[in-house]
Amino acid sequence: MANAMNENRGEPDKTLTFTKQPYIVDVGPRKIKDVKFSMFSGEDVLKLGEVQVSRSQSYVSQEDKRPVDNGVLDAHMGPTNKLGTCETCHGDFHSCPGHFGYLPLVLPVYNVGYMSHVVDILKCICKFCSRILLVETERVNFLKRIRNPNLDHLRKTGIYKQVVKRCTAMASSKKVVICSRCHYVNGTVKKAVGTVGVIHDRSKVQNTTSNEFNDTIYLKGSNTPAKLSPSVGPDKALKLFKKMLDEDCELLYLADRPEKLIISIIPVPPICIRPSVPVAGGAMSNENDITLRLAEIIRANASVREALSGASVHNKSLGVLWDNLQLSVAQYVNSDVRVADSSQQNGKRITGLVQRQKGKQGRIRKNLSGKRVEYTGRTVISPDPNLKITEVGVPIKVAMTLSYPERVSDHNIERLKRAIRNGTYVYPGATHLRKKDGSIMSLRFNARKRLAEELKLGDIVNRHLKDGDVVLFNRQPSLHRMSMMSHRAKIKHWNTFSFNESVCNPYNADFDGDETNIHVPQTEEARTEALMLMGPIELWTGKQLFSVLLRPYADMRVYLNLSVTEKSYTKPSGERVKPYETMCPNDGYIYIRNSELLSGQLGKATLGNGNKDGLYSVLLRDYHSLAAAVCMNRLAKLSARWIGDHGFSIGIDDVQPGDNLNHNTNRIISQGNKKCDNFILDFNKGNLKCQPGCNAAQTLEAQITGVLNKIRDETGKVCMEKLHWRNSPLIMSQCGSKGSPINISQMIACVGQQSVGGQRAPNGFIDRSLPHFPTNSKTPAAKGFVANSFYSGLTATEFFFHTMGGREGLVDTAVKTAETGYMSRRLVKGMEDLFVCYDDTVRDSNAIIIQFTYGSDGRDPSQMEGKSGFPLNFDRLLNKVKATCPAGQHRGMSPTEICEMVDERLSMHDMSTEGGCSEDFRRKLKEFLEKKAATLEFTRRVLNGEESLTLENVAQSICGITSQQLKVFLEVCISRYHNKKIDPGTNVGAIGAQSIGEPGTQMTLKTFHFAGVASMNVTLGVPRINEILNATKKIRTPVITAKLTCNDSIPFARLVKGKMERTLLGQVAKSIKLVMGLRSASIIISLDTETIGALHLSCINAKTVKESILKTPRIKLKDKHIRVLDDRRLEVNNPSTYDRNKLLFDLQMLINKLPSVIVMGVGTIERAVINKKKERDKFNLLVEGTGLQAVMGTEGVNGLETTSNHILEVEETLGIEAARRSIIKEIQYTMESHGMSIDIRHMMLLADLMTYKGEVLGVNRFGIQKMKESVLMLASFETTADLLFNAAVKGQVDKIEGVSECIIMGIPIQTGTGTIKLKQRDAQIEKMCKGLELILSE
Amino acid sequence: MADDDYDMDAGGYDDEPAEPELDEGAEEEIDGDKVEEDVPDPLLGDNEDKEEQEAVEKPRKTIKYMTKYERARILGTRALQISMNAPVMVELEGETDPLEIAMKELRQRKIPFTIRRYLPDGSYEDWGVDELIVEDSWKRQVGGD
Repeated sequence: MANAMNENRGEPDKTLTFTKQPYIVDVGPRKIKDVKFSMFSGEDVLKLGEVQVSRSQSYVSQEDKRPVDNGVLDAHMGPTNKLGTCETCHGDFHSCPGHFGYLPLVLPVYNVGYMSHVVDILKCICKFCSRILLVETERVNFLKRIRNPNLDHLRKTGIYKQVVKRCTAMASSKKVVICSRCHYVNGTVKKAVGTVGVIHDRSKVQNTTSNEFNDTIYLKGSNTPAKLSPSVGPDKALKLFKKMLDEDCELLYLADRPEKLIISIIPVPPICIRPSVPVAGGAMSNENDITLRLAEIIRANASVREALSGASVHNKSLGVLWDNLQLSVAQYVNSDVRVADSSQQNGKRITGLVQRQKGKQGRIRKNLSGKRVEYTGRTVISPDPNLKITEVGVPIKVAMTLSYPERVSDHNIERLKRAIRNGTYVYPGATHLRKKDGSIMSLRFNARKRLAEELKLGDIVNRHLKDGDVVLFNRQPSLHRMSMMSHRAKIKHWNTFSFNESVCNPYNADFDGDETNIHVPQTEEARTEALMLMGPIELWTGKQLFSVLLRPYADMRVYLNLSVTEKSYTKPSGERVKPYETMCPNDGYIYIRNSELLSGQLGKATLGNGNKDGLYSVLLRDYHSLAAAVCMNRLAKLSARWIGDHGFSIGIDDVQPGDNLNHNTNRIISQGNKKCDNFILDFNKGNLKCQPGCNAAQTLEAQITGVLNKIRDETGKVCMEKLHWRNSPLIMSQCGSKGSPINISQMIACVGQQSVGGQRAPNGFIDRSLPHFPTNSKTPAAKGFVANSFYSGLTATEFFFHTMGGREGLVDTAVKTAETGYMSRRLVKGMEDLFVCYDDTVRDSNAIIIQFTYGSDGRDPSQMEGKSGFPLNFDRLLNKVKATCPAGQHRGMSPTEICEMVDERLSMHDMSTEGGCSEDFRRKLKEFLEKKAATLEFTRRVLNGEESLTLENVAQSICGITSQQLKVFLEVCISRYHNKKIDPGTNVGAIGAQSIGEPGTQMTLKTFHFAGVASMNVTLGVPRINEILNATKKIRTPVITAKLTCNDSIPFARLVKGKMERTLLGQVAKSIKLVMGLRSASIIISLDTETIGALHLSCINAKTVKESILKTPRIKLKDKHIRVLDDRRLEVNNPSTYDRNKLLFDLQMLINKLPSVIVMGVGTIERAVINKKKERDKFNLLVEGTGLQAVMGTEGVNGLETTSNHILEVEETLGIEAARRSIIKEIQYTMESHGMSIDIRHMMLLADLMTYKGEVLGVNRFGIQKMKESVLMLASFETTADLLFNAAVKGQVDKIEGVSECIIMGIPIQTGTGTIKLKQRDAQIEKMCKGLELILSE
Repeated sequence: MADDDYDMDAGGYDDEPAEPELDEGAEEEIDGDKVEEDVPDPLLGDNEDKEEQEAVEKPRKTIKYMTKYERARILGTRALQISMNAPVMVELEGETDPLEIAMKELRQRKIPFTIRRYLPDGSYEDWGVDELIVEDSWKRQVGGD
C-alpha cells in the first residue's frame, strides 16, 4: 500500500546563501491538488531506500546503545533517539524527516492485502500462457467497454466484476477450460484455506487429460515435475504476471503491472514512525511492533537463504521455510491473518501495518480525521442566571492559561504594553510575545518592562483571555450543531465554567458534575466566523425545533415591551375546547395583544421549546434573535429572584394521599381487578370472544393489559383532580417544567403495571412468574401489577416485578446509545458533503445533483413558522397585522374586492415560480384568503349586512379586513417567504443528518406498537429507523395497507380479505383420504363447504382446487391425474402407477403434501386484518406480509392507494420515485409515533440521497461506497485497509473535494464560507497601497 | 498562526503568475484564501477587463442577498486586514475591536471587496459587496407602522 502525493508543500524560505545548489524559484505555497494511489515495484523501493536492512538486531549490545549497521534501526533511516543524528541527511531527532530502507527477499511472497486481486487475476488468465481466458470476440467486446473514457470507478469495477464472473463461470462449470490460445487445460482457482496462498485445482481435469497434463508439466520446466502441487506459489504467479499483456491488464482494471502485486523487496519504514523507546534508564528498549515484525522477516529470510545455498542448519525443507517467510510478511502487513499452526497465539497481539490504519483508534480516524488542538480547556460547569445567554463565565485560572494572539496596532498598543508588563502570572497579562522577526519570547521571567517599552506595531502578543473574547463552548456528546456554540467570555473567579441555565437544553447539560470543553479561536477570521455562524441564538433555531428551554414558572407578570399578538394553549387538564376557546376554566388560553397579556397563565407551551407559536419563537421571527434573547434573559432573572424569595420544594407531605384520594384509588383498582377476574373466568370457560387475528390467550392478554393500563391513567387523573392546587409536584406537572400525571400518580396512588418487552411479566418459573403465585395464574398481581404507590411501599413480589421493568429500561438506554451513535455516524458520513449551490441545487462534492431545489421549495427548515414545515402561519400573521394596524376609520372590503386584490398581488413576478416562489405556497396563500373572504360573505349573509350599516359594521369587525391591512398582510407574507430562502453554501447534508440522528438518541427503544388493531404489531423506534436506513431486504414486520374500492361495507372487506389471505387445502378440506380399491388406489379430497362459507371463499370449488394443485410447483401432477368428481370432491391418482411396490409410498407422500397446497390467496401473506378508522366508517385492509403486486392486483382492492412499508418492495413494484416517497413517509411515521417532529426537508434530502443513483442504496458501508467516489472519505468510514489496497491496485485518484478529504488534508472546506472567494476591489487600490506597504514592509 | 498569514501575504504579493491562471481556468479549487484577497496587484491589467466583459455578457442569476456565509467571510477577512493595520474606510467613533470596525464598514458599504461566487460548473459571478443587499434583520419589522 504505497501512496504518493502528487505535489508537496513547498519548502519554507531560507535566507539567501551562496551554495552550489541550483537555484529553485520559489513559487509560493503549494497546495495538494489530488492524491493518487499506486503500487511500489521492487525498483521503486530500491530507489527510495537509503540502506539495505539485513540484520535483525537493533543495537550493538546491551551496553553499547548504537544502532547496528544494516540492522532494523540503522542510522541511515533516521536517528533512534534525541542524541543521535541521521546518517543520510545529518539532521537531528527533530529535523530529520526519516528515510526508507529496503529489505530484499530471497524468494518472492504474496502481499496479503492484494491476495483477493491476485486470486481474481489468476482466475481470469491461462495458467500457462498468461493470456485472458475469454475468447477473442468477448475479449474485444469487454475491452471496448472498459476503455470508454466516460466511465467512473464504479462502472469500471462493474465491468471488471463481469469479466471475473465470466472467467470463473467458465472454469467452475466442471468443464475443462482450454485456453483458446495455447490449449492449456485450466482448473479452478481459489484462495488457499489456512495459509497465504492460491490453489489451482486441476484434480477434476487430470483424469480426462492426464497425458496432456504430464506433458505440460514438462513443458513448464518446473524444477519438481514429479511432485504435483495444486498451489500456485508466488514465484509462479510472478512469472505468469510478468508475461501478461498490457491489454489484458486493462481488461482486469489494473492501473499498473500486476507483478507489483507480489513482494520481492520490502520497503523498511523510517525509524520515526516506529520509535524505539528506552526503558529502565536506557538499559533496555521497547521496540515498536513494526520493528519486531521486520526482525522476524529478516530471520525468516535468512533461513530461506541458507536453505537455498544448501548450508541449512535446520532440518526443514525449503517449502516450510518459504511458507514461514510468507507468513511473517503477511503478518507484518496484517496481523489478523490466520495462522495454521497455533504456536503463535501467545497473549499479546503484535500489530501489523493494517492495524495501524484501521478502526476508531487507527491512523485515519484518530489522527487524520480527528486532530488534537491547542488553546483548549475543560472543567466542571455550574449555572449562573446573571450571565447573559450569550456569555460563558471563564475561571481566571483558565483565562490565564489560554491566550489569544493579538497583533499590536495603534488602538491596542497601550493595553498590550500593560499586559506584557503584567506577564504570565498577573491577570490581564500575556503569556508570550512574538516579534516581527519570528522570535518568540516567554513573558514568564524575561525583562518584561523592557519588552513592553520595545513593543512595536505588528508584533503579536499572546495575551490572556479577556471579557468579550469569542470562545467556542462544547459539551460531549456533540450530537448536533447546538452542542458547540460560540459565546463571549466573561472572566470570573472560582473554578468552574458557568453559563445561563437557559442554554442547558441545547447542550443537554445539567450541573451534577458535567464537564465541558472550551476552545479559543486564534485568528480574527476564525472568531468572526464563530460569532456570525455559531452564536447561540443563531443555532438554537437551527434545529427544526426552537430548542431553548426556559424554565417556565406559572405566576409571572412581566411586561414585555414589544408589540406582539401571540396566543397559544397550555396543557392544563380539563381545558374546554371550542366554541369558547378563550374561556378556558383553567386559564389556559394565552392571548397577548400588543404586548399586553390579556389572558392565560404562561406555561411550557408558551415559554418552552419546541412550539413554533411559542412566545420566543414569535419574538425571534417577528423581530430578532436579540429581542428574544433579551426577553428570555429578563424572564430568567425574574424567575431566579422569585424562586430565591419564595422558594419551591417537595416534601413528604406532597406525596401523602388524602382519604378521599385513597378511597378513589382503591375503588379504581378493585374495579379493574374485578374486570380482569371476569375476563379470566370467561377465558377459563372458553367463552372469551376472540379479537380478529388473535387466539384466546392473546385476546385475554390484550384485554387485561388494556384494563390495567387504564387503571394507571385513571389514578393519574384522579390525582390531578383531587390534589391541592399548591401541591408542588402538581404545579411542576401543570406548568410543564417536569413530570407527568403518571409520575405523580406513581408516587401518590398506584405504580401500575410493570412490563418487560411490551408484555406483562413473563414466567420465570414453570407456568408462573414467581413461586408466590399458583401456577397458570393470570391475575394482575401475579403478572406484575403493582397496586401500591411509592409512598405506601411495594410488597416483595411487587418490588421484584418493578426491578424487572427497571432493568429493561437500563438495558435499553445502554443499547440505545451505542446503536443510535452508530446510526448518526453513518448518516453524517453519507450526507456530510451535500450543500446548496449558488444555482439553488443541492449537490455533493463531485457536483452531482441530489435535489434540484432544496426541499422542493428552497426554504430554510430552521425558519419555518407553520405546522408541518410550512413557511408561515397565516392565521397568526393576520391577527398580528390586524392588531398592529387597526382598522380605524377605514372601511372593510367586500369579499369580491378581497379576491381581486389577492389575485392582482399574486400575479406579480415575485410570486411566480421563476421569481422563487413555490407553487404550493402560492396556492395555500390564495386558499387562505379566499376562505377568509368566504367566511366574511357567510357572516354578512347571516346578519343580512347589506341592509343595515350597523350590521355590516358588525360583520366587518368579526371577520372583515381593510384594504390597507390586506396589503400589509400580503406584503409581509411574501417578503417573509422570500427571506426564508436557504442561503447558498449551507451544509444541508450535515444539518439534515444531525437533525435525524439527534432525535434518534431520544427515542426509547420501545419496539412495538399497535397500529389500529390490537393484533397488528409494527416495528418502531430505533430498529425501524435502522431498517429504513439500511434498506433492509427482509424487514421484521412488512405491512401492506390496502384501500378497498368499496370501503364502507364489512362483508365486502371480508370477501377481499378472504381472497387475499393464504388458504391451504388442509384448511378447507373436510378430509383427504386414501381410497384403495381392488384395481386402483387414489386420494379423495372432499371440501368442507361450511368452512369455505365461513371464510367467505365461496369461489372455491373442486375445479379451482384442481387448478391450484396443478399450479403448485413440487407436486408433479398432470391434468389427467386429477379428476373432479363433483362440486366438492376430487380424486387424485398417482402419476407413476406402474410400480406397484412404490405406489403406497407415493400416495402417502402426496397425502402429506396436499394439505399445504395454496388454494386461494397470496402465498407470501400471513394474514389480513380489517381496519376501521374511528370516526368515519371506512375500511381498509392491513395485510401482514409481502407481495405488494399481488395485493394490488386482487379484485376489490384499490391499487392506486395501496402501499407497503417495505421500501425495497415498493421500489420493485412501483419504481424509484415511489420508493423515495415511501422512505420519507416511513421515517416520518416512525418519528411521529415517538412524538418527535422533524422538518420534512431533512427527510426529503435523506430519501433523495438514498435514491438518486436509481436504486435504493442503504446508508451503510455498501450503499455509501456506491454513492461516493473519494477513497479517503470511504477509508475514513469503514473497511479502511481493503479500500486503500483496492485504490492502489486500481490507481484511483482522490481529488480532495469533499468534507472528509479536506479535513484529512487540512484544507479549507468548500462549503459555507468556503464557497466563495474574495477579491480586493481595484477602486481602492491607490488608497490601499499605502496601507499594504506598511504591512508588507518587513 | 497569524504570523503564517503574514508570510503568505508576502508570498502572494510576489507571486503574480499564479493569479491569471486561476481566472482562465475558472476551476474551483480552494485556495490559500488569504493569498488573493489581500493582494491588490493581480487585479490590474487585462484580468480585470475580462471579468467585466463576462459580467456584462450574461446577466447574473444568483440571489441578490448576501448570504450569512458571505457576510461572515467578508467580515472575518476584513477584520483580519484591519487587525494588521489596514487603513479603515469609515470614521471611527472610538471602536477598537477590528470586528466591530469591519461591521461598521459593512453597514456603510465601504468594504473594498468583490465576492466571487462559484457555480457548480466552475463558472463564476462577481458581486461587489456594495451591490448585495445585506439583510439587517434587527430592523425587520412587521406591519405597516
